[in-house]
Amino acid sequence: MIYDVSHKTTISYDGIVRLAQFNIRMRPADWPDQQVLSQDMSITPGAATFSREGAYLAPLTRARMDAPLSELVISKRFRVKVERKAPEPSPGDPTVDQVRDAALAVQRIDALAPANYLYPSPRAPLDAGIIAWCASDLVGGAGIVAAGLALARRIQKVFDYDPKATDADTPASEAFAAKAGVCQDFAHIMIIGLRGAGLPAAYVSGYLRTIPPAGKPRLVGADATHAWVMIWCGEALGWVGFDPTNGCTVGPDHILTAVGRDYADVSPIDGVLLGRTLQKLKVAVDVIPVEAA
Amino acid sequence: MPLVIGPDEWRHIEAAMIQRAELLEAVVTDIHGEQSLIRDSGLPAAAITGSQSFWRQMIGVPPPGGYHLRFIAVDLGRGPDGAWRVLADHCTTPAGAGYALENRIALSRATGDLYAERNVMRLASFFAAFRDGLAGSATRSAPRIGLLTPGRYNQSYAEQAHLARYLGFPLVEGADLDVRDDKLFVRTIEGLKRIDVLWRRLDTRFLDPLAFDVSSQIGTPGLFDAYLAGNLVVANAPGAGVMESPVLAAFMPALARRVLDTELLIPNIATWWCGQTRERATVLKRLDEMVIEPAFNGVRPVGLPDGAILGQSLSEPAREALMAGLAVRPEDYVGREVVRLSTTPSFNGQRLEPRPFTMRVFLARDGAGAWQVMPGGFARLSNSGDVRAALMGEGAFSADVCVISDAPVEPTTLLGDPANTPVRRQSGVLPSRAADSLFWLGRYVERGKNTSRVIRAALGGSVVADSTVRTRSAEQLLADLLVSWGAGSTAREDAKGKKMPVYALCEAALDGRDEPGSLWAIATGVRGIAQGIRDRLSPDLWRMIDDLYKPARDDEKGALIGRTLRLMDRFTALGGLAAEYMVRGPGWRFHDLGRRVERSIATSRMVRTFATNNATADHLSTLLDLADNQVTYRARYQTGLARDAVRDLVALDPLNPRSLSFQMEIILGHVSALPVLRDDGMPEEPLELARRVSAMITTVQAADLDPDFLLGFEARIMQLSDAVGRRYFLQGSVVAPAKSATQLA
Repeated sequence: MIYDVSHKTTISYDGIVRLAQFNIRMRPADWPDQQVLSQDMSITPGAATFSREGAYLAPLTRARMDAPLSELVISKRFRVKVERKAPEPSPGDPTVDQVRDAALAVQRIDALAPANYLYPSPRAPLDAGIIAWCASDLVGGAGIVAAGLALARRIQKVFDYDPKATDADTPASEAFAAKAGVCQDFAHIMIIGLRGAGLPAAYVSGYLRTIPPAGKPRLVGADATHAWVMIWCGEALGWVGFDPTNGCTVGPDHILTAVGRDYADVSPIDGVLLGRTLQKLKVAVDVIPVEAA
Repeated sequence: MPLVIGPDEWRHIEAAMIQRAELLEAVVTDIHGEQSLIRDSGLPAAAITGSQSFWRQMIGVPPPGGYHLRFIAVDLGRGPDGAWRVLADHCTTPAGAGYALENRIALSRATGDLYAERNVMRLASFFAAFRDGLAGSATRSAPRIGLLTPGRYNQSYAEQAHLARYLGFPLVEGADLDVRDDKLFVRTIEGLKRIDVLWRRLDTRFLDPLAFDVSSQIGTPGLFDAYLAGNLVVANAPGAGVMESPVLAAFMPALARRVLDTELLIPNIATWWCGQTRERATVLKRLDEMVIEPAFNGVRPVGLPDGAILGQSLSEPAREALMAGLAVRPEDYVGREVVRLSTTPSFNGQRLEPRPFTMRVFLARDGAGAWQVMPGGFARLSNSGDVRAALMGEGAFSADVCVISDAPVEPTTLLGDPANTPVRRQSGVLPSRAADSLFWLGRYVERGKNTSRVIRAALGGSVVADSTVRTRSAEQLLADLLVSWGAGSTAREDAKGKKMPVYALCEAALDGRDEPGSLWAIATGVRGIAQGIRDRLSPDLWRMIDDLYKPARDDEKGALIGRTLRLMDRFTALGGLAAEYMVRGPGWRFHDLGRRVERSIATSRMVRTFATNNATADHLSTLLDLADNQVTYRARYQTGLARDAVRDLVALDPLNPRSLSFQMEIILGHVSALPVLRDDGMPEEPLELARRVSAMITTVQAADLDPDFLLGFEARIMQLSDAVGRRYFLQGSVVAPAKSATQLA
């Protein structure tokens, strides 16, 4: 499947801000079953930029705006080919116990090494309540893909999808207590549960192709950035994606941008500025299928 | 009581610590570089990534200056058999070297020459070597070295200020610094000045919000970019803290054999990491002989809700929780052998008694990059009698560690080699934050003096021979003045709206906690500001500031006049001490500028309140009291009180140190002497304003000093104060995290 993705962010401030510096993580990372065919980004007003690798798998663009600023527009477009099949549980999958032992035995600390994804991280602390709630799906003898899918489905079933319940800074424990939130909250909760069971779990940010209801046209700009979870399922299976918002494994409808330990590692835009002011945010995301791969 | 260590034992410790430092450097270099130790299983990957101090962005980044570690500390314990063991390594921001210095200074004072007679080795040469090492690490030949502090709310801030003063490094905070073109600068009154080396006491997480934790508001955006570009040495390097994890003790013996091809001269406490199958089995089998601890600092595993615990003292539910935790996340736990500590004598107030102790030893790289061990350190003594090393928490007492040398010790101090010290008359550039603090210190001390004078006058305590009895009206004006300064407003009227006695208002103006202008609030403000620049204040000045305000003792209740006088004396003495003994550099100028600005505003307000066009003799007399000009007036004018004569003496006489003319002449002098950035010879905004206000005062006549004129004058002075702030201080340079700019589905 080939998609054209466009992601336009407009930030307006109610006053003037100075020396704004942003980390932009919107360049899709290299990933085995997807290929970026073309991409470009524009920042208005102009900015001094440079790019480097991120700490995890989150390519980074730094933008610095020396001139005072009251509105900022970041426009990202890319064309990507996704050749991924949604994995299904199989009797041959390693068990939860086997994956836990295997993860501790991998002697690497590169960006995707399982050792990086075993421990609590700033946005995914080891919350005992969340761990206990998730544990029933992660019993030692269960196949790893089946266990991950069962947990993703239970989160989708039990939690209310409610964009008003949380924002990007809400701690996972609050979303867990409210049993409501959005993709980010569900991903963090699932990651905490998985790490609590000793499994390496990563946070993925990206996009999802939305399928309009039958008979209705696709609404332009109605899509949003999405987030899900990957579990390292042993050397043979590697990283497998699970989407707790939709209760499924990750297949051809998901477009991966970045992988990190939690939201803080992959946040599409963050940064610092001088000036105390309120901001208004407008985000328009389009994921348009170009042709079947 | 100092802990005394003999020359042979110390030589052994010294060799062992240097060996350890070399090993730590080699391992931390490998983790951030080749990673051969990880690939070959000498060091498991998951024993590294669990550390809160592991930062993947540091991988592949060679540390500018060549080393990750430049100043470290090691905690040691001595078993009852006399054998030493390493308890912990401190590789990020080791605290305590300043305490060691203070302990030593305290003891030297108490014992006189005893230290020299006993050949106690001195600490100064160690710090000199460390300073050489930092200076030599920079690429520029005359580098500027800063001590980066989290700020005055940090618990070891006093130690940091002490070290900065001792080493002669400017004490800087994140907001003092700025990055331009991948170089680090400190904001000073002379503009940006390059910083080459930072000795940091700020955790890596907070160093640079763009590189580590975006919510940090005490860091410097771009600092990591300067580091990456090789333009900034940071000691110790970000990421070095990965060596502090308790879990690493399990691997140190094997790493020493592999990396250094030798055994550790002083071993760690024997440690088993539960993330390894065989070691986990050992821990489970010998649980009762071990202490179970979190494998990583700052992370409390689910199975150890209360932290480290002796295996044999686990309750049944605690044991079950531990077993459940170990089954799913074994990597979070280590088992360690139980080591008892030997004791050292300690004086408990009545007699000497034995106390178990641990000792912290400090190491630094010298100018040649070689490790030097500080001869001495500090010991922490436990409160309880029987203590096992691994469970010893923060001791209540600390003691000096003295190392005795075989040979007489030549005195060294940080003054350096007298023959080779070039004479200097400038103590380096003044950071903007320090200038800001000194300015406000001057203003607050002066404000305390003025407020206490007004309170005293309101209480009727002024003693002048023929001063008339106060009328109600002058008293009321004094109350108005206090209330307009934010002192006593809560005691103006009682609950029913009835006017309260002036006495109650004065009490509130003195001690009121809800009064922004009470003497208590001013004294608290003075202390807060002074704390932020402790590295620049003499110990005597700091002691006076620390003692400024004292709450009323029981026998002082009702003795308001006496307490007001004492406070007035303290504020006056503080102003005098600063004025008398501060070196006449830019720091003193900002401090004195603050005093003068504050005094001109206060004098103007006093004249505006008491020398109005229809002022009574009583009002004028009160003004002379406030300005301390009674005696001069009586000597100069044999007649009674005349409005314009009083105005002229108090406000316009250039020889009267309270007058506006006097302040303006000095203010103009200070502002003219401040550094300028413009190169076209035109005056900068502060100087332009100062000239205008000064002209206003030089040309006015006493008869025209009405409230309108004085209000205009006060407004201009405040403009001048703001202009000085905008030009020389840090206003608005504190970064805020940009709000989250993502919508998630």
